[in-house]
Amino acid sequence: MSEIDRTLIGTFSEPFTVEVERGAIRKFADAIGDPNPAYRDADAARALGYDGILAPPTFPTCFRPPKEPPWFATLDRRRVMAGQMSFDYARPIVAGMRLVCRLRFVAVEDKQGSKGSMELLHQALEGRDESGELVFTSGRSTVYRALAQIERRSLA
Amino acid sequence: MSGERTTSAFDARRVGDTFEFVTDAVTTQQLVRYAGASDDYNRIHYDQPYAIDAGLGGIVAHGMLTMAFMARAAGEFAGAGGRVTHVAARFTAPVRPGDQVHVTGTVTAVARDGLRGELQCQLSADVAGRVVATGDATLVLSLEPA
Repeated sequence: MSEIDRTLIGTFSEPFTVEVERGAIRKFADAIGDPNPAYRDADAARALGYDGILAPPTFPTCFRPPKEPPWFATLDRRRVMAGQMSFDYARPIVAGMRLVCRLRFVAVEDKQGSKGSMELLHQALEGRDESGELVFTSGRSTVYRALAQIERRSLA
Repeated sequence: MSGERTTSAFDARRVGDTFEFVTDAVTTQQLVRYAGASDDYNRIHYDQPYAIDAGLGGIVAHGMLTMAFMARAAGEFAGAGGRVTHVAARFTAPVRPGDQVHVTGTVTAVARDGLRGELQCQLSADVAGRVVATGDATLVLSLEPA
């Protein structure tokens, strides 16, 4: 039984603009424990050929639509887990960029895991610069565990 | 130009080259920081009763934090003049506070395309020998002499 609204497959979130801020990059780099100076110091980044402070490869994970898209808003957060992620760069993300992003609902797959049934929700995020040039794409596949997985295990 | 070609970081790389990286033990504090930095406030990552109620046996780290460790290992292997142009991961088992994540990478393909050298790498992350994520990365390396 599908709990995710499959009639919305193929639709997009509203476009949203992300201002890539140096402070946000630094906070992210600190949280992942990565000491790379290019994530913190503009001169260090420029010396490596970047136009400004570089964002770590997984940074666009924090690019979220201000309002959750309709296919995601109704999900039970206890049952949501990361499944697969990917990031592909046409060019590096650096501080100061303004990226126009859109999230697309790509597909849903039914899966049978070792701990019960689940749905795999595939979404794709893209970010473009202000002239419309593609900067990155990111695939997000989210595991949505069946309610029975929680109820059975909570009682165990 | 004539004579011997100077070697770049890329020229030294071969299929089968490996790299690895071990994190410090993941802490709950780190998960809270990561929640803030990534704007992912799912309570399964910091609220113990909630995570137990979710059938997870306790809080679990963000899969994306594990992926950040994998990307870091790949990026450090690419070196200061290189960069990660693609990284993908699939999460197969939870990481919990106290776990040290061990990332290994193996070069699976080497290609030279004009002004850039490209490496394909397979990635794996484990905790005490139990695989928690697998993935791959593409690294672009400088062809400038090292």
